[in-house]
Amino acid sequence: MLQNMIKTDENKAKFVAEFEARRKIVVMKHRAAQISIVLILGLILGVSFYTSGFFITNYGTDPMSRIGDLLNKMIPDLEPQNLLKGRSQSGSIASWFYDMPTWLSLLSQTVQIALVATIFGSVLGFFASLLASKNLSPLPWLHWSSRRVLEIIRTLPDLIVALILVAAFGVGPLPGVIAIALGTTASLGKLFSEANETIDWRPVEAVKAVGGGWWTQIRFGVIPQVLPNYASYALMRLEINVGAAAALGVVGAGGIGIELSRAITYTEFDTYLALLILIVGLIFIIDIASEAVRHHLIGLKLAR
Amino acid sequence: MTTINPYLNLSRQDLIAKAIAIAPKLVSIPISRRLLNYGVWVLAALAFALLCKNVDMTPAVFAKGFKNLLRFFGGMFPPEAAGQEIRILSALAATFAMAVSGTFLAIFGAIPLGLLGAKTLVKQPLAHFLIRRFYDVFRAIPALVWALILIVAYGLGPFAGVVALAFADIPRLAKLYAEAIENCDPKPQDGILAAGGERVAILRFGLVPEVLPVMASQSLYVLESNFRHAAILGIVGAGGIGFELEERIRIFAFDQVAWIVIAYVICVMLLDTISEKIRSHLIHG
Amino acid sequence: MLELKSVSKSFGSKAAVKDVSLAIPVGSMVGIIGRSGAGKSTLLRLINRLCDPTEGKILWRGQPISELKGAKLNQWRARCGMVFQQFNLSPRLDVLTNVLIGSLARQRGLGPLFKVFPIEERARAILELHSIDMEEVALQRCSTLSGGQQQRVAIARTLMQSPEIILADEPIASLDPANSQNVMETLAGINRDRGITVLVNLHALDIARRFCARIIGMNDGQIVFDGPPDALNAAVIDRIYGRQFVENITENPSQMEVKDTLEAVA
Ligand SMILES: Nc1ncnc2c1ncn2[C@@H]1O[C@H](COP(=O)(O)OP(=O)(O)OP(=O)(O)O)[C@@H](O)[C@H]1O
Ligand SMILES: [Mg+2]
Repeated sequence: MLQNMIKTDENKAKFVAEFEARRKIVVMKHRAAQISIVLILGLILGVSFYTSGFFITNYGTDPMSRIGDLLNKMIPDLEPQNLLKGRSQSGSIASWFYDMPTWLSLLSQTVQIALVATIFGSVLGFFASLLASKNLSPLPWLHWSSRRVLEIIRTLPDLIVALILVAAFGVGPLPGVIAIALGTTASLGKLFSEANETIDWRPVEAVKAVGGGWWTQIRFGVIPQVLPNYASYALMRLEINVGAAAALGVVGAGGIGIELSRAITYTEFDTYLALLILIVGLIFIIDIASEAVRHHLIGLKLAR
Repeated sequence: MTTINPYLNLSRQDLIAKAIAIAPKLVSIPISRRLLNYGVWVLAALAFALLCKNVDMTPAVFAKGFKNLLRFFGGMFPPEAAGQEIRILSALAATFAMAVSGTFLAIFGAIPLGLLGAKTLVKQPLAHFLIRRFYDVFRAIPALVWALILIVAYGLGPFAGVVALAFADIPRLAKLYAEAIENCDPKPQDGILAAGGERVAILRFGLVPEVLPVMASQSLYVLESNFRHAAILGIVGAGGIGFELEERIRIFAFDQVAWIVIAYVICVMLLDTISEKIRSHLIHG
Repeated sequence: MLELKSVSKSFGSKAAVKDVSLAIPVGSMVGIIGRSGAGKSTLLRLINRLCDPTEGKILWRGQPISELKGAKLNQWRARCGMVFQQFNLSPRLDVLTNVLIGSLARQRGLGPLFKVFPIEERARAILELHSIDMEEVALQRCSTLSGGQQQRVAIARTLMQSPEIILADEPIASLDPANSQNVMETLAGINRDRGITVLVNLHALDIARRFCARIIGMNDGQIVFDGPPDALNAAVIDRIYGRQFVENITENPSQMEVKDTLEAVA
């Protein structure tokens, strides 16, 4: 039909003109959409920067020099000839990291907080995920409502929760553990339930068909399929939680964070840098270890 | 073909004896292995108990705090703004604005770093490895830690908060961008190269249309997490809703705390939903 | 006796099984044939109560089983073994554990949740595995087995239930001829030696003829034939599979053997 239409020149010209006109409209619509997106983005940004009070802070005329000053204060006065001398000798590394035993024990507490919170969070997250996944939930409304509850918990920042818990439990690691475990439960609950929803249903049906109850269906039908996924999600969460546990001490919830805020209050900026190095090193080690385990798990999974 | 053994009516003893005759190791697990199995579990349980004790997770501490917590919860109802609705809502707005501003700055900083971190652009393996490890190091520093120190430099206020968010997000985004660039389909770029395109043309027409939606969606994802991070920066003096919350927790005004938390949760869920909509639109067209 | 009284099942507006009435004596081996979508699977799932009938009644030895719920339902499912086309094993669990799953309905307490089973159950599982020549691979993961081996493990799992009746839903549809033969012989042997009633869905007509003393033909959710293999003449096959099917056979090599049977009958 099309060929018939453009056989004559007149038709052809008409066809081309029509096409051009239509193309113009499409292009203009596209442009208009692009321009309006840019305008809206610009508006949001303008309003945001204005509302946030970004421009009304008293940082003077030269923000960069302030950073420079600070960096200057953060870098310790190391003296090359004294570098390896004892703690009492100023200019040595030992005097920079002057309270190493305390810091190491706080670092270990940070890891322990993260570990305990991750374990509790994984276990609770597992039970939550059973309710929150569409294919396993015993009742449809339970599936819906448990999803919403997990979402609400996920919106709460752990530090705010920790603040309230510190008020209740007093200064110490326990509020930190509970705050992190709560967040972990919510986020792993969601991730686990997504894993649950992608399982092969046939093994579950087999357990159902032999007369196994709900728990045995979960144990023998679901868990063998999702366990590697669970483990790798939990490990990823552990990495995040070590960072969170390091920060939580700032509000008194245990771990190395307490030294961070102490260093700031006593204006020991070089100590702050030392602590920062320790924290980054710790997180780095945890990351590498957990990455290795995760890759091992994935490798196992592929081999199957 | 096998005939099915008629052992349906065997007694328990005969059953076991018969099975042992066939495969002794399978029926009764050797004591040594059973002990090993239990031993591993017992050790794990002991280690866990020790961990719990080290982080004060003991019934006594728990019970004491729990009583207080119940009291707090009792004090939360009914939620009450105490006539400070305007103040609270504007603090909320400032917090979300802080998140948007911080994310925007982070995007600016992360684009060049993302290009630098992509294997497709920096081909030298050692350089690539070092660059990415460098990002990993900085990725480990939470926004709160940046905020603590930046507030020393810039004084109390949201400026330090915005910059802290940006600092914390730049390495995160740079890594995500670099991965997006690495994962993008090389065929369109090859096509442009084949058509005699310049390097800039390859980037503009081959790479950008491919990675832009992915990068935009990742930026939105980071923005969502910043709605949460921005709220806690107030605790260390960056203003916003965190400051309002902390003040009220300190004076045990839990009815107001509840009001703020509810308002905050509603706003975050709303913003998350919008952002998720845009993200899925970006990814699936 | 297994009795179905005017059983119907519809999914939304789609009627999968329409007003089926059947009586199957204890100890018989019955083949159910019919083309894809005829409702064969649905029929077996109704009996096992993996899905609930929209209408009608199902009785086993005079007891109504179509209204059972909760623990009673699980007890019925334990008495009624099911063999699936895709075996439905847990691929990451070992063979022995997969067989032990068959004993779950008998277990009490938390032991099974930690994979701890009583010693006599383990002994039975090993004997069941031995009876199908599979005890050597007892500790291997199921995913490492061939299809035929997996189906035999699935049958051993069913036998662990000490079932009174076994429902097999196309147990050989994803197996090669040698394995199909083996699995069908295993099922026939179970029926013969243990007196367990066997209902088996089949695609291939010749297999049904060879192993089943009674054949039920389904078409579009209804029973269109019920009788001995000898009564399966061309007209009947036509009714079960439809005219179109018979004409298509010549073009489809995979169905050649059915065609051979057809010709033999004609
Ligand atoms: N869970 C379900 N939801 C909706 N429709 C279904 C469901 N199960 C089966 N059906 C429909 O019921 C009809 C009968 O399906 P059934 O699986 O019983 O057929 P079948 O004879 O076993 O076919 P096949 O040989 O392909 O296995 C089909 O039309 C199918 O689409
Ligand atoms: Mg079927």
